[in-house]
Amino acid sequence: MSEALAVEFKNVSKSFGDRKVLQDVSFQIEDGKALCILGRSGTGKSVTLKLMIRLLRPDSGSISIETEDIDHLPEKDLSRVRRKIGFLFQSAALFDSLTVANNLAVPLHHFEKAMSPEDVQHTVEELLAQVGLEKDKDKLPGELSGGMRKRVGLARALILKPTLLLVDEPSSGLDPITAGEIDALLLKVKQERHTTLVIVTHDVREAHKLADTLAVLDQGSLVGYGTLEELKRSENEVVKQLVSEP
Amino acid sequence: MSSTPTGFFSFVGGLSRFGVKALASAVMPPYEWQFFLREMEDVGWRSLPLIAAAGLALGVVTALHTRGTLVNFGAEALIPSLQSASFFNELGPLVTGLLISGRVGAGIGAELSNMRGTEQIDAIEAMSADSFKSLVVTRVVACIVVLPMLTVFMDFTGLLGGFFSEHMASGISLQLYIHRAFNTVGWVNFIAPTLKTTVFGFIIGAVSCYYGYTIDEGSAGVRRAATSSVVMSSLLVIISDVFLVKLIFFFFPGKAL
Repeated sequence: MSEALAVEFKNVSKSFGDRKVLQDVSFQIEDGKALCILGRSGTGKSVTLKLMIRLLRPDSGSISIETEDIDHLPEKDLSRVRRKIGFLFQSAALFDSLTVANNLAVPLHHFEKAMSPEDVQHTVEELLAQVGLEKDKDKLPGELSGGMRKRVGLARALILKPTLLLVDEPSSGLDPITAGEIDALLLKVKQERHTTLVIVTHDVREAHKLADTLAVLDQGSLVGYGTLEELKRSENEVVKQLVSEP
Repeated sequence: MSSTPTGFFSFVGGLSRFGVKALASAVMPPYEWQFFLREMEDVGWRSLPLIAAAGLALGVVTALHTRGTLVNFGAEALIPSLQSASFFNELGPLVTGLLISGRVGAGIGAELSNMRGTEQIDAIEAMSADSFKSLVVTRVVACIVVLPMLTVFMDFTGLLGGFFSEHMASGISLQLYIHRAFNTVGWVNFIAPTLKTTVFGFIIGAVSCYYGYTIDEGSAGVRRAATSSVVMSSLLVIISDVFLVKLIFFFFPGKAL
């Protein structure tokens, strides 16, 4: 029996003014699997992630998260669906005025209003220990390195135990060792929590390491979709270039 | 703001919708008290040194200038009442509005634009939290509430500066200075001009939030948002002052100076 679907894009198109960013894109991600979206800059990869959590809305087509059409959900139901989604932004998007611990506590304060301050503190410390930053909980984001910020961002994205984790360029701006640490954390999340991962990346080596399935976007269109072995047999030049062994 | 007519009207329309939405959201629950109090502290409490210094300096300077003229007519006894009339009616409200549009407007524009550029606003929205309410409404309301308070503070530090200047020049006592300062001004001269600063507060809050919340152009955008916030809110404060003064004259003929 096939796995349940975590995400489904059906004929999704999105434009900004005259610029078509996505054109008739369709794909599916099974529950607990990892999809890496590859492509050159400006091909709509980050837009695809933002559509999944309705930070942006499609011009046409439908997007389902665990079979719920996210584009037509009322605000209350949207909040319930977003509760199940974690998002690690490219810049980590930490709140500058809050300490590391308070950054992690924000989703708990918002979604788990009944949680006691002691439980919030315990959960925050547990997550920070998992990403190796328990000693930095009182620091402000401005005092952290790029890799540390990414790890805090990942901890914040994971704090509500999401079933779907969206990750935008996890290794951008990081040295190979730190990037490897972030990848290892993502793999651990996938294996231990059975979390579905959608990762946008430029890094083919990272995609090889993390992905069950790869999607290749070029000029807004999905030009390749499948396992690494399947994509290696593609006739599309962009796909060939992107998935060739590094 | 675009230099084309279409761009101008698009800007005016966008800003108007933004301001109306901020006011409408302000009266709808839930209320973000925690964020609001933090903005009150930032906009109000942290502006006090600037307002105090400006008020004292302006009070001294205006008293010196007025004395230089009035002494020729033997009318220096009028200096306290001229001080109070000028501060309560115009100097206090307008200078407070301009100072706050510089200090707070630039800060809000830069902060929100930076939050937009670094995806912090997206992060708030991704949690289904209302970023408009927590970031924009709280700042706009804080500006509306704080401006009259800062204006009162500016008025009284201005009078204090005037007293210091007069005391040094003529040895006038504080009691006599206060008596002369308040002898000729009525409540209307104090309340109506002070309340008009709620409009200044709305302009400063709405304009700077509009630029900060909507501009997403990286570090260049932060700079543009900060500069545009100050320039546009200062300009609109001055222009609205003309209309508000006319309005006060209309409702209280012969009272407002």
